[in-house]
Amino acid sequence: MPLIGSFALLLALALTAYSFLAGILALVREGPSSARLSETARRAGIASFAIVFLAAAVLVTAAFQDNFSIAYIFHHSNRDLPAPYKFAVLWSGQEGSLLFWSLLLSAYGLVLRLRYKTDPRLFAHASVVIAAVQVFFLLLLNFAAHPFAIMQGSLPADGSGLNPLLQYPEMVIHPPMLYLGYVGFTVPFAFALAALIMRYPGEKWIHITRRWTMVTWGLLTCGIFLVMHWAYSVLGWGGYWGWDPVENASFLPWLTGTAFLHSVMMQEKRGMLKTWNMWLIFSTFMLSIFGTFLTRSGVVSSVHAFAQSSIGDWFVAFLGVIFVTCIFFYWKNRSHLLSEHRLESLVSRESSFLFNNLLLLVACFTVLWGTLFPVLSEWVQGTRVTVGPPFFNRVNIPVALLLLLLTAVGPLLAWRRTSAESLKRNFRFPALGALVVAAVLVAFGMRPWKDVSYFYSLMTIALAVMVALTVISEFVRGGRVISGHTGQNLLASMVQLTRRNTRRYGGYIVHFGVIVVVIGFAGSAFNQDKEQEMGFGDKLTIGSYTLVCQSYTQDDNPNYGSEWAVMNVFKGGKQIATLNPERRFYKASQQTSTMPSIRSSVSNDLYVVYEGQNPDTGRPIIRAHLNPLVMWIWVGVWIMIVGTVVAMIPNTAPVRVMAPARVQPAPAGAGD
Amino acid sequence: MTVALMACMFIATATLVYVFYLPGTLYLGPRKTRLSFLRERRETVYENLRDLSFEFKAGKFPDADYQAMKTSLEEEAAAVLSEIAHLEEVARNSAAGNKKGARV
Repeated sequence: MPLIGSFALLLALALTAYSFLAGILALVREGPSSARLSETARRAGIASFAIVFLAAAVLVTAAFQDNFSIAYIFHHSNRDLPAPYKFAVLWSGQEGSLLFWSLLLSAYGLVLRLRYKTDPRLFAHASVVIAAVQVFFLLLLNFAAHPFAIMQGSLPADGSGLNPLLQYPEMVIHPPMLYLGYVGFTVPFAFALAALIMRYPGEKWIHITRRWTMVTWGLLTCGIFLVMHWAYSVLGWGGYWGWDPVENASFLPWLTGTAFLHSVMMQEKRGMLKTWNMWLIFSTFMLSIFGTFLTRSGVVSSVHAFAQSSIGDWFVAFLGVIFVTCIFFYWKNRSHLLSEHRLESLVSRESSFLFNNLLLLVACFTVLWGTLFPVLSEWVQGTRVTVGPPFFNRVNIPVALLLLLLTAVGPLLAWRRTSAESLKRNFRFPALGALVVAAVLVAFGMRPWKDVSYFYSLMTIALAVMVALTVISEFVRGGRVISGHTGQNLLASMVQLTRRNTRRYGGYIVHFGVIVVVIGFAGSAFNQDKEQEMGFGDKLTIGSYTLVCQSYTQDDNPNYGSEWAVMNVFKGGKQIATLNPERRFYKASQQTSTMPSIRSSVSNDLYVVYEGQNPDTGRPIIRAHLNPLVMWIWVGVWIMIVGTVVAMIPNTAPVRVMAPARVQPAPAGAGD
Repeated sequence: MTVALMACMFIATATLVYVFYLPGTLYLGPRKTRLSFLRERRETVYENLRDLSFEFKAGKFPDADYQAMKTSLEEEAAAVLSEIAHLEEVARNSAAGNKKGARV
């Protein structure tokens, strides 16, 4: 079994290297033989998917067969590990996750190579770029992090087991989502670099990659929120985002990817910001590689980093190669990226995209700086200085508020320039709505002057209302126009409106999801927590809830032993739920983990953790958190996913091309 | 071990056959030219005009703004159309020249 896996990895490397080299040769040489060479390169790329898939299948099979002769299986599995986690062994350790990266990349490459007829020459260039990235990962797998390395000495009877933190249902889906997002950015990167290398005329490459970019962005978004949900449900500290380096690593490409999704519209619509967009997608790809490097190298310590190794040098070298390649081709073909138009006014749709991009990049730089600060400080001063959440929040919360403002303002501005009359016409209703909501919140007891976090919460909710009203007004106004033409009711007209321009109205649905998420974030300003020792019948009161300890119970299964509390929850004197916070002891890895018990409602989450027993008194310790509006975050994500899916659906009714009446062709020779 | 080796040999052979055995003709596709780019650009400008018209009907802009933006887009469309017309004429002349040369 390990022999077939090792052979598959070597064969995949040979095929990918061939795909890369033959692909380059075919593009450089002209003539009939180059077409055949190019076809063999394409086929080698396709075959590499089958071979990498075989290697991954061998590793998963070895996990199910408890083949502990393979060191990776020994270190990340054990006989009593439940089946879904044995499947997740593929991405639970360093070597496996690199193989998984490679598998996903080859799958993306497969789709790209099968769809080459869209534009064979552009796809051939993009295929070479993807093959180059794949060569790097296969070199790593073959020579630095071999997943089929054999155990030395006598064969162990059982494995060390999977890290307990990873034994959670979401762990089976969250890394694939995140990796699909990370890896997926290779595709727009490959097309962008390909378009630059071949001085591709026009923006069709953006149309080709639009869906890839949206799928990738959507998957990365899902991955990030699954990480948050996993951290919330498993780590037991009561929060969902701690500005941990690995969380930040996934957030960085999301920020630049979001900026790209917005600014690329300026290139499509008006032929502007070509250099900016090119570097945005280059940066997004490099940050994806950087994220993988942070997660896998052990250069920063994190609750999400499950590997310590020396492959960091490989990643640093690879990042250097990518950067030099991008710089080289940019410098060589920079004249190809000249803008077709200039920014005409600061009050325009273009400028709102530009400001949106600048803010996203400020956030990206802040997160990058804060993430790397411990490494840089150690490098410069010899002492590792870490920066905590206050640093990130101080910059990113105001930036997020400004972004929210732009989300409200942007869709209402016209391309090119917006007059004062137009501003007045479009902003009156959303701005008034935001002011009314802010006044109502103050009237109901919110005191923004007492604490800066309250001020931020109030601003967040007011701006979120403004965005919501903007989105609603866009749907209603567009729906009315269609309703006027077709006689349909407003709701049906709004559905038709969305189907006519899915990208735009899907985008508005995403914006709506974002505001639901940020309202959830705003709730964190009012978090409460309490900790106390609780014997049978003891009470703990937090907010409007009272917890009464009913009993403590123990259980045992082959994988872990557990101990949990039975807590009755009362509200207004009436029992509304029973919570079971739990502590587990995993036998194979000899590690303990907590499983918080959560009662979610629209207004708040009651989050209860069983911390274990006080060593002095022998009494169990219970910690309770009251986290307002957390459910809004998870609901908002679903809305964002729906919006992304809508934006990817092709428009159903392409509007007829009408010749503009006043257009007169200029004298021949006016063009170049 | 022997079975594993045989499996590896089979996989390698099948892969080599798939990669290097190329029966039939290959699809090369058309080359992207300045003219095809301009035709795409024309569609984009028309789409921008349609969007503008729709937003005006939705009541987002006053009439003066709409007329100014429409004029600007129409000028952009005119420039693109003139270049398309010029390149098509050059292409026609070149094709006619080739035909004449072939007859001579």
